[in-house]
Amino acid sequence: MEAQEEEGKNDHVLRKLQESVDSNPDDASLHFNLGVFLWEKEEQEEEEEQEWKEKAAEHFVRSAKLNPQNGDAFRYLGHYYARVSVDTQRAFKCYQRSVTLNPNDSDSGEALCDLLDQGGKETLEIGVCREASEKSPRAFWAFRRLGYLKLHQNKWSEAVQSLQHAIRGYPSCADLWEALGLAYQRLGMFTAAIKSYGRVIELEDSRIFALVESGNIFLMLGSFRKGIEQFRQALEISPKSVSAHYGLASGLLSLSKECTNLGAFRWGTSLLEEASKVAKSTTCLAGNVSCIWKLHGDIQLAYAKCLPWLEENWNLEIDEEAFSNSILNWKRSCCLSAISANYSYQRALHLAPWQANIYTDIAISSDLICSLKEDDKHNPNSWQLPEKMSLGGLLLEGDNNEFWVTLGFVSDHNALKQHACIRGLQLDVSLAVAWACLGKLYRKEGEKQLARQAFDSARSIDPSLALPWAGMSADTHARDPTTDEAYESCLRAVQILPVAEFQIGLAKLALLSGHLSSSQVFGAIQQAVQHAPYYPESHNLNGLVCEARCDYQSAVASYRLARCAINTFSGSILKSHLRDISFNIARSLSKAGNALDAVQECEDLKKEGLLDAQGLQIYAISLWQIGENDIALSVARDLAASVSAMEQASRAASVSFICKFLYKISGQESAIISILKMPKELFQNSKISFVVSAIHALDESNKLESVVSSSRCFLASNEEIARMHCLVALGKLVKQGSEHCLGFENGVHHLRKALHMFPNSVLIRNLLGYLLLSSQEGEDAHSASRCCIVDPSHSPNKEGSKSVFEILGAGAVACFASSMSNKKFSFPTCRYPCMSGLGAIQQLQKWLHREPWNHNARYLLILNFLQKAREERFPRHLCTIIERLNFVAISNQLYLKKDTCCQYQKFQLLLCASEISLQGGDHLGCVNHAENASTLLLPDCYLFFAHLQLCRAYVAKDDFKNLRKEYIKCLELKTDYCIGWLCLKFMDSHHELQNELSISELNFKECSKERKSSCDKWMALFDLLQGLISVQNQDFLRAEEFLAQACSLSDTESCIFLCHGVICMELARQQCDSQYLSHAIKSLMKAQEISLIPLPFVSTLLAQAEASRGSKAKWEKNLCLEWFSWPPELRPAELFLQMHLLARHSNSGSESSSCVEPYQSQQRWVLRAIHLNPSCLRYWKVLQRLMQ
Amino acid sequence: MKLAGLKSIENAHDESVWAAAWVPATESRPALLLTGSLDETVKLWKPDELVLQQNNTGHCLGVVAVAAHPSGIIAASASLDSFVRVFDVDTNATIATLEAPPSEVWQMQFDPKGSILAVAGGSSASIKLWDTATWKLIDTLAIPRPESSKPTDRGGNKKFVLSVAWSPDGRRLACGSMDGTISIFDVNRAKFLHHLEGHYMPVRSLVYSPVDPRVLFSASDDSHVHMYDAEGKSLIGAMSGHASWVLSVDVSPDGAAIATGSSDKTVRLWDLNMRAAVQTMSNHADQVWGVAFRPPGGAGVRAGRLASVSDDKSISLYDYS
Repeated sequence: MEAQEEEGKNDHVLRKLQESVDSNPDDASLHFNLGVFLWEKEEQEEEEEQEWKEKAAEHFVRSAKLNPQNGDAFRYLGHYYARVSVDTQRAFKCYQRSVTLNPNDSDSGEALCDLLDQGGKETLEIGVCREASEKSPRAFWAFRRLGYLKLHQNKWSEAVQSLQHAIRGYPSCADLWEALGLAYQRLGMFTAAIKSYGRVIELEDSRIFALVESGNIFLMLGSFRKGIEQFRQALEISPKSVSAHYGLASGLLSLSKECTNLGAFRWGTSLLEEASKVAKSTTCLAGNVSCIWKLHGDIQLAYAKCLPWLEENWNLEIDEEAFSNSILNWKRSCCLSAISANYSYQRALHLAPWQANIYTDIAISSDLICSLKEDDKHNPNSWQLPEKMSLGGLLLEGDNNEFWVTLGFVSDHNALKQHACIRGLQLDVSLAVAWACLGKLYRKEGEKQLARQAFDSARSIDPSLALPWAGMSADTHARDPTTDEAYESCLRAVQILPVAEFQIGLAKLALLSGHLSSSQVFGAIQQAVQHAPYYPESHNLNGLVCEARCDYQSAVASYRLARCAINTFSGSILKSHLRDISFNIARSLSKAGNALDAVQECEDLKKEGLLDAQGLQIYAISLWQIGENDIALSVARDLAASVSAMEQASRAASVSFICKFLYKISGQESAIISILKMPKELFQNSKISFVVSAIHALDESNKLESVVSSSRCFLASNEEIARMHCLVALGKLVKQGSEHCLGFENGVHHLRKALHMFPNSVLIRNLLGYLLLSSQEGEDAHSASRCCIVDPSHSPNKEGSKSVFEILGAGAVACFASSMSNKKFSFPTCRYPCMSGLGAIQQLQKWLHREPWNHNARYLLILNFLQKAREERFPRHLCTIIERLNFVAISNQLYLKKDTCCQYQKFQLLLCASEISLQGGDHLGCVNHAENASTLLLPDCYLFFAHLQLCRAYVAKDDFKNLRKEYIKCLELKTDYCIGWLCLKFMDSHHELQNELSISELNFKECSKERKSSCDKWMALFDLLQGLISVQNQDFLRAEEFLAQACSLSDTESCIFLCHGVICMELARQQCDSQYLSHAIKSLMKAQEISLIPLPFVSTLLAQAEASRGSKAKWEKNLCLEWFSWPPELRPAELFLQMHLLARHSNSGSESSSCVEPYQSQQRWVLRAIHLNPSCLRYWKVLQRLMQ
Repeated sequence: MKLAGLKSIENAHDESVWAAAWVPATESRPALLLTGSLDETVKLWKPDELVLQQNNTGHCLGVVAVAAHPSGIIAASASLDSFVRVFDVDTNATIATLEAPPSEVWQMQFDPKGSILAVAGGSSASIKLWDTATWKLIDTLAIPRPESSKPTDRGGNKKFVLSVAWSPDGRRLACGSMDGTISIFDVNRAKFLHHLEGHYMPVRSLVYSPVDPRVLFSASDDSHVHMYDAEGKSLIGAMSGHASWVLSVDVSPDGAAIATGSSDKTVRLWDLNMRAAVQTMSNHADQVWGVAFRPPGGAGVRAGRLASVSDDKSISLYDYS
């Protein structure tokens, strides 16, 4: 139906057009329209269509005649002549006419060019295109055509211009972009080429040409990964593309070379395995292409060079046969791969025998096979295969300098080598490789001067060549550079090229220059073992490196491998080598704690008579470790006998060893006697001085005085002297202390003087801080944290000495006030100024952040948090933190140890947990933790506190039966810490546990007497406590007596004075006795005076006292002071009311004292008071009075 | 290849700044810098002027690690008491709180797809994997204890795990421990593969190369930066130059350079082709705890950016080109 309708419409249009042409036969456009209509009319029958077209052509001819400027008519005519009545000549003319009239007409242009192309008239074609492109910049078809043509003619830069222009017209034409990419690529503009190809792939992702070519460019630019990516993509589209296969294989080869140069041999191997597979499949696709076989050869050769010996986990018992088998297997697979490379090269040569470089490839692979097979080259006079093959290359291309160098490298004849290198240099004097080869040759010949010159030239030409650097470092004796310099150059060689020989050399130099523990050496020697497992040196050096990094197990294993290697693979075994290795094993075993095996090794050595001084030391130590003290001593004696024959350095080591050893085994006395027996000149060394001084420090009778003083003059550096001062201070601690107590004062005194000499010695500062903290004198704890400096970049402390953070943390725990960050929560009366804002908690967090595994840091952090929590009245969030931290800390395995230090820490942590439970209302937990604590293995004086805590727990539980039990337990255990007795006394008085003059009081007095300097202070505190107890019993007179006594004992504690003042005020009120009033004023003024920060209540009480004496001025002054004694957010309501009084007086005209907050009316003060405490009726009444 | 200082904020936090990470850009905003500090806050900064966008509080101890989800929508922060807070970056709404015993959370990283959060498990000697949809613990990858070692050896926690890194393909996880070893895990099979050796002091920071999933960079207290072939188990580069501990390492998005921060107060830029430091920035006055390159992406953002944070309480931003 529709078709019919359509036809009907068409007929109608045709009729209309026909009619209008008929009516206006001279109108060109009407003819043209009709022509177009007829031309585009579709008919099923071809003949019918042809008829229509011919009719159309007639009209076009008419139209063209009538209007010769209409290019379109000519185009249709052109189409007619070209397609319908095949008349090329006419078609050509029509098209030409059309293009001339309208150069932008791409249809006619393309048709014209196609016609010319078919006729093979390329020059004409270019002419047409150029003409059109010059006429109109929008004739994009012409630019495109021109671009392709120029590309075809290899005129790359002209092509680029045309193509760039054409792309403006056809921006999404993949062909154009591809052509542009190719042109750029040929011009060497690779980045531009990659971009163009990228655009092609964006437009059509199946363009294999663009993928392959951009892959090739990536490979050329060294971006192997990207190149490989492109080739893989290409292979997905066309899995049989030879060029993509080839590109992928060569990309993988290049990437693997990059890996190998980094030393990632396993990675390189896995890449090469894949590359080899790809190359192999390429040879199946195209077996007659020489370069594919060459690529396969290259890959196999690289594999033979890269394949690492896989170090299996050799246990302590090494099977020599298995070891040698594994090495032989590895060698065999390398060799197989080299042979396969050789075959592939031969195939390549067979296909293209004119390719000179393949001859040298064969030469190189044959050389590798020879070296892997270790064939003895029998006849020195006949040509060897590698030499012959490289000569083959030279016969084809005699002027190729690289071939000469190859000959130089593969040849065995020194004369030929030299000749080849020199020929190469004659051809190109700046051939660094040739110079390097010459240098190597000369070195071998012993011509050091010449070798050096050759290496120098090579290095100056190409500093990125590894061999000259290695050669330079090997030249240590000839030019005598320091070992450090040699190490540096060898390091450079190794970094450029990871060759096993260089790496072994590097490790040797590291041994000499003390770089053994460096990471570079570690990496190098590990790689060396992978490629030279048959060299005993590589294993031995690997062992030394492991030992330097404290990995003794691996060191022992490596040394054992070295022994296997020396037995299996070295032709002649040198006894000294074996001895060195055995000695290394013994030393590592002993360091690893395996004394039994170490003794075995030493005994084996001894049997052969190879044990030297160091060996004897290890032998002695190992014997001692397994408990054979007698034999150990006799060995030490042997060592002593040989001391005099030693060099200075090893003598010092031996002597200090003997001294330490004697002290350990036979004790202090006999060590001292032996030392005194030894000749004095043996002690002329700083190291020995330390050993002797340490023994001296412990010796009460000072027998070593003369030895020590004579040896001390050999201390050289400041650091050594500082260390010695520390040792001396520790000695004073021991010698000048009493029986129970170390002489901290003397130690501190000595260190203070030493610090004056070495103000920047961290060691002295830390020890001083530690001693101050340990001395248990209250004042010293404050100075402890001040003498330490927190150095952010400090090196981690060595075993034994205390770190700054530890001292800071402990100091903060020791004084409540020093950890206080803000004064919001309490008013410390500590009269020692503390460094404010020190932030112990922050410092400890920093420490924990640096060393999260450090349990000391966590321990101190917990204690500091407990201190903070106590200050802030145990807020919930702090308790949670402490609980969580504590949970982890207590479960630390370390606390399973039985030594007192660990047990004490655990004790503290348990008490802390118990306290947190108590504050959180968890009585059961509190009791459990405290009971846990009381079972630890600690002296009674500490355990006392666990039971004290239990007392508190039972008080909280109202369990008086248990309370009494624990109380008695406390009395039984006793402590020598005064504070413990004070607490007990307090408990006692509160709960009436004992009525007669309590035992606790007696005990307290006894124990406070032991603390000479602070005895009075403690007594004062005891009196304070008794005073408070009396107050509790409403016995104010007695209380006043106690407190007066306390005041007289301690004139530094403002709290006591405050209490005394308060009691006196109360007594004055009760008894209306002005004498008490003056006592009160005296005490309160004293309290005001000695407290570092203004204490609250003191001033207001004083104000009241003064007021009752009638001194209004003093009343006002003190009230003002009171106002400033409070932090703003803590001011109580009553204070505002007091201020209202003050305001009233200033209003009423006396001298103005509105110092507090001026312009505040009485009413406002009262309102503020009510705002703070609306429940107080008194305030409301005052307000009422004011309102009236 | 060079760094140029753009902006430095003194006293960006009240205390030492310990952690830094970039939150990737989303459709509505550019990439943001996330920092965590000892002052218990986590702050968000908008480059290049480093305008403070947000100040998140809520941790009770210093913040040791921050990590951003690859989508840029959520992020996580962890403090010394081992609470991990997961929050919405734009609204600061808490999404989840992950709890572990203290000392068992150290560094964190989201996997490249964003479905797993890996947490270095500190003293638990393991990596904890959290599902990011349900916020449930899905797996614990434990480092096997060597047979020869005694259990009581120095507290038994020699394998304290400090750092963690995902390979860019999401198949491997690496973690660095206190004794200097690095352990590699196969994530899909949840299996320990092998150790990488070469460091002998704590490994504080790890990062995989974005261009090659085999290459791993590590920073250690032994003042070296190592480059490993993590699959082939071999050390393929050791870079020395820092005078003290190397605390942090990050690799540039193009994979051509790495940046390190150290206790010697410097930030260094290393050219991987030359395997040498090409630039040393010494603008910080205290040890540098974190360095982070901005990930690529976001509207019109081409320029490379590096941020560094330090104990001196400051944050610095550099242009990397």
